[in-house]
Amino acid sequence: MAAPMELSCWGGDWGLPSLHPESLTVMAYAKFSGAPLTVNTINNSWRAPKGDVPVLISEDIVISQPAKILNFLRKQKYNADYELSAKQGADTLAYIALLEEKLLPALLHTFWVEAENYCSVTKPWFASRIAFPLSLYLPGRMSREALNRILLTRGGPPLYSLTEVEAQIYRDAKECLNLLSKRLGTSQFFFGDTPTTLDAFVFGFLAPIYKVCFPRVQLQEHLKQLPNLCRFCDDILTCYFRLTVLGFAYFNEIKTQAIYDYLRAVLQRTCMLHMGRYVTVPTGTRDEVPLECNRSGPAVPGTIIRYSFM
Amino acid sequence: MSLVAEAFVTQLAEEQILLSDNASSLAVQAFLQMCNLPVRVVCRANAEYMSPSGKVPFIHVGNQVVSELGPIVQFVKAKGHSLSDGLDEVQKAEMKAYMELVNNMLLTAELYLQWCDDVTVEEITHPRYGSPYPWPLNRILSYQKQWEVRRKMKAIGWAGKTLEQVLEDVDQCCQALSQRLGTQPYFFNKQPTELDALVFGHLFTILTTQLTTDELSEKVKNYSNLTAFCRRIEQQYFEGHDKDSSTTVAARSAKRSLLR
Repeated sequence: MAAPMELSCWGGDWGLPSLHPESLTVMAYAKFSGAPLTVNTINNSWRAPKGDVPVLISEDIVISQPAKILNFLRKQKYNADYELSAKQGADTLAYIALLEEKLLPALLHTFWVEAENYCSVTKPWFASRIAFPLSLYLPGRMSREALNRILLTRGGPPLYSLTEVEAQIYRDAKECLNLLSKRLGTSQFFFGDTPTTLDAFVFGFLAPIYKVCFPRVQLQEHLKQLPNLCRFCDDILTCYFRLTVLGFAYFNEIKTQAIYDYLRAVLQRTCMLHMGRYVTVPTGTRDEVPLECNRSGPAVPGTIIRYSFM
Repeated sequence: MSLVAEAFVTQLAEEQILLSDNASSLAVQAFLQMCNLPVRVVCRANAEYMSPSGKVPFIHVGNQVVSELGPIVQFVKAKGHSLSDGLDEVQKAEMKAYMELVNNMLLTAELYLQWCDDVTVEEITHPRYGSPYPWPLNRILSYQKQWEVRRKMKAIGWAGKTLEQVLEDVDQCCQALSQRLGTQPYFFNKQPTELDALVFGHLFTILTTQLTTDELSEKVKNYSNLTAFCRRIEQQYFEGHDKDSSTTVAARSAKRSLLR
């Protein structure tokens, strides 16, 4: 538990801490369970991503897939599913399988296969975060892998052309979104008031669809017609990640203390209005202030609310 | 038109059929029995080529051919027989999620075991799959199928898994099913649904098929409510209806295990 844990994953934009669904799932789970992860986003350096991303490094243990990373975190006693019953644990597995089978192909298609989206948004974004000359090759490879996966898992007969496969996967994805919306209903998270593994996975898959601005957005339009899912994503973003009230770019680009202090003051005032509680933010440099949204417990004047800077 | 006349399920020949195809076929048979629709099972060596989607089993009703459990359920529902009408929206979502879990984990694990585990491939899969054909066609066809399945495994990330990890996934899946089933007779209330048919198909096949090792069936046997569930469905839907046909499901599987 004392060993420092480092997570290496893709960075974020458009208000999200990461654009990559699996990275987002792991980050969300770490926030829910309180695991102290240092997040290193892959940037334009020569330490290119080796193999799968996200990768968790703890001392000399290297773990690469989200399910395995979550298992490792649970073994280190960071367990967000502590209060779930056995049946709810079983439901978690089932819904995750549903997401992977029905929603993931359409998500991969929107990001990597749809030509307009890929050329205008995905490829430049990922290429800017990979070092040259890998930036010429890796995005193309990721796109080919995505197409391969879609065709091999969903593209058998009687669907013979890519357009038929696309129509089918988007139909399945919209049905999956409807099912998730019905399951969520009016509650805040999928199993009551505390977020669990399933919430991390659903958030990881839905948030990129919801927030990233693509030219072709049929899935996003469908998602926006399901207000409870949109509210779910927004809640997690505001409570566990940065506030979306102010410009996200400021948080990424903060360099000077002056800007930081000004923004902290604005944050303070905005949070008082937004949360309805008294906010006291301790002074200090940027590095000393670990900020997390304290969302449980009654609103007591003088409660310290802490927010994290990513 | 009514489904009563001439519906028959086509699957691969007795000596040719493999674990995963047998599981899917049994699931469809169980579903049709649960809907009280009479059905005949016919075995053909070229069933995969006859099927519109390339997968067995498929049903042939009048002049329509429908393959795989999902479309068959839709087809039967369009004709007016449905097992899941009594479920509310949240339960239907749960049922679909559990069906995806079985397809995602159990079916993929069966495919992995059959086509990616070298021992099983050499001793069981290659001989069985190519058995209706003369040499060299039998080897060519089975290598082709193996190559296809391995490509798919690689695309979904299962190629890097070891057999132990796959068995662990099966165990996790069975644990989830067992916890969901609990002490109820069926997964949803007291009436069986297509989820019960699917789970029965896979679990019964795993329990009664003899492979090179018993580890897969041991994983399922650890959960007594799942074995009781399989026995209950077998007794209720298969032993009563099979007085006319030559073998019951259990006897057929005993014959199968003797062949191995």
